[in-house]
Amino acid sequence: MHSIIKTSFAAIVAAGITATAAHADAHALSGDLVIFSDMSNPAPRAVMEGMVERFGKMHPDLNIELTVIDREAYKTQIRNFLTADAPDVANWYAANRMLPYVNAGLFEDVSDIWEGEMSTELASTKGAMTIDGKQYGVPYTYYQWGVYYRKDLMEQYGLSEPTTWAEEKANCQTYLDNGIKCYTIGTKFLWTAGGWFDYLNMRTNGYDYHAALTNGEAAWDSAETRATFANWRELIDMGAFIDNHQTYSWQEAMPFMVNGEAASYLMGNFAVAAFREGGLDDSKLDFYQFPEITAGIAKGEDAPTDTFHIPSGATNKANAKAFLEFVVSADNQTLINNGENLGQLPVNALSAVDDDKFLNEGFDMLSNKAPGGIAQFFDRDAPAEMAAVAMEGFQEFMLFPDNLDDILARLDAAAVDIYAE
Amino acid sequence: MFPTPIEKRTRGWQIGYQAMLPVVLIAWLLPLLAVMLFSIKPEADFVSGNYWSLPSNLDGFNNYYKVFFESDMPKYMWNSIRITVPTVIGCMILSSMTGFALGVYRFRANLWIFFMFVAGNFVPFQILMIPVRDLTLDIGLYNTVQGLVLFHIAFQTGFCTLFMRNFIRALPFELIEAARVEGIAEWRIFWYVVLPLMKPALAAMAVLIFTFIWNDYFWAVVLTQGSEAQPVTAGITSFNAQFRAAYHLMSAGSIVAALPPVAMFFLMQKHFIAGLTLGAVK
Repeated sequence: MHSIIKTSFAAIVAAGITATAAHADAHALSGDLVIFSDMSNPAPRAVMEGMVERFGKMHPDLNIELTVIDREAYKTQIRNFLTADAPDVANWYAANRMLPYVNAGLFEDVSDIWEGEMSTELASTKGAMTIDGKQYGVPYTYYQWGVYYRKDLMEQYGLSEPTTWAEEKANCQTYLDNGIKCYTIGTKFLWTAGGWFDYLNMRTNGYDYHAALTNGEAAWDSAETRATFANWRELIDMGAFIDNHQTYSWQEAMPFMVNGEAASYLMGNFAVAAFREGGLDDSKLDFYQFPEITAGIAKGEDAPTDTFHIPSGATNKANAKAFLEFVVSADNQTLINNGENLGQLPVNALSAVDDDKFLNEGFDMLSNKAPGGIAQFFDRDAPAEMAAVAMEGFQEFMLFPDNLDDILARLDAAAVDIYAE
Repeated sequence: MFPTPIEKRTRGWQIGYQAMLPVVLIAWLLPLLAVMLFSIKPEADFVSGNYWSLPSNLDGFNNYYKVFFESDMPKYMWNSIRITVPTVIGCMILSSMTGFALGVYRFRANLWIFFMFVAGNFVPFQILMIPVRDLTLDIGLYNTVQGLVLFHIAFQTGFCTLFMRNFIRALPFELIEAARVEGIAEWRIFWYVVLPLMKPALAAMAVLIFTFIWNDYFWAVVLTQGSEAQPVTAGITSFNAQFRAAYHLMSAGSIVAALPPVAMFFLMQKHFIAGLTLGAVK
């Protein structure tokens, strides 16, 4: 009995000390922190392990347990572990991808992390992390999309970066007249066509309409969507895209541009490393923001954002919040997104970007030139089932544009089931 | 029943045969040749679409350097060894004993037990995927080398028992009877009489099981993840970055991963062929 009282007294004192210490100094975390991560590819894995190591050094008494799960397997396992055996921190994606978990009450509201300065520092992704006015996670990296083009070809034909749809088409016609395709694309795995749809729809109807459409709040067979497809069809009828694109993966479509048979590629910034590998240095490769189509519409951009969340079932939420704050801090963002690590864009506006033409332009574009909003990419904004059906439709449209009525009817029928759930 | 040997055919047939043979051979080997070619090509060749030409420069040999010194490949190879060798040994121990029991002793349930071992081979292992995964997760063997080893031993023992039992059945039973007459204990009969006679069968079986387990991809993917426990067959995909497939490194890695079974085959060719036919004719 005596010893029990003694121990509990000691425990109370110890708890008091840690509590005051925690107030006095944010570096005095102790206890456990369980992290489940999907950063399983070699470079992201090293980044994740590096972050845990540095966070561990800041908090020597904290026992951090990191489990890295294969990125694809993670997508099915998350449903299981969020309900059964929740970690304290889990990776996921922004926007609609996190919506089902937020609606099911599985992700913790972390709005307090976003209070004050953080909201300005992370302004570009705040919308993507917000549902009903509350934030449910923090971003750690993203990358821009845009039109990557052969600068030398553009100079050769005396063209310049287009800013309007008319200029875009005029440039394209010049390329075609010289036997060069305007755009390379490989739609074998469908998502590349999703990128085209995102941009055409955001430029034709605006970010808000695009968000409503991917959320199931707008019909596919509508004047707005038909206008988007009509714009797309202009390019298809010109023969702007390479032939047989349905047989190539995105990688297999690159040689067309590297060898000068196609002038540009609507792609994510990850393509740059591969283009450079293929011999396109900065004198031959450049980038422009997808041009305006409907005048006056605020431009929205695709920037798929990867995130960290705290499951509602977490046991060490205070430690988890400290980790999330560490993740988004400007210094950490600079480090993990530099060329030697993820090679992507930091989400914190105070972070430094590697001195790289494309990263600089992308950082500037997403921070300053995307007033419409940041979309997450079609297959992240729309529910997975809808994205699969719709992207098949996009591919079909690119090959058989006359099937549009059929495709739209099919998408509306699918949407009825998918969004009803 | 058998086709007429080509030497006995007319000259026209022979010429046709000789002309077709190289063509078919090349077609047959093409995927393998492609992997060999890709493994010495620099990445730039893939980006610029030079899939089938000669490597544009000699940087491609760096692929092998990268595989060995700048990747987790050695770790995956070591995992493969840690999985394959214990499995082969475990299967040999278990199946020589079960084979002996089922082949030598006559008891009532003998045939039924034997059928159960054989029947296990007819269960398509894909349908066991989810129960086995849950089982390993529950007993804490998920993502461990031991989990894979235990599972492989359990699953291969059925086939090995069939193999061993049939071989022991074919041994002259008089040898065992003679030993019994001498009053030798049963375990000594197993150890000193039967086991030495089983050596060729064990060698053949070891080669077979080694290649089966080394080449296993399915269970490696189902039961393990990451470089702590995954064997080389599953580890090759770790060369892929999040967005890009590294064909050149995957090809080099595949060649390296394929070397041990190939070496095993050439070194033990005699046993390998014996192993394929041993079970067949009995």
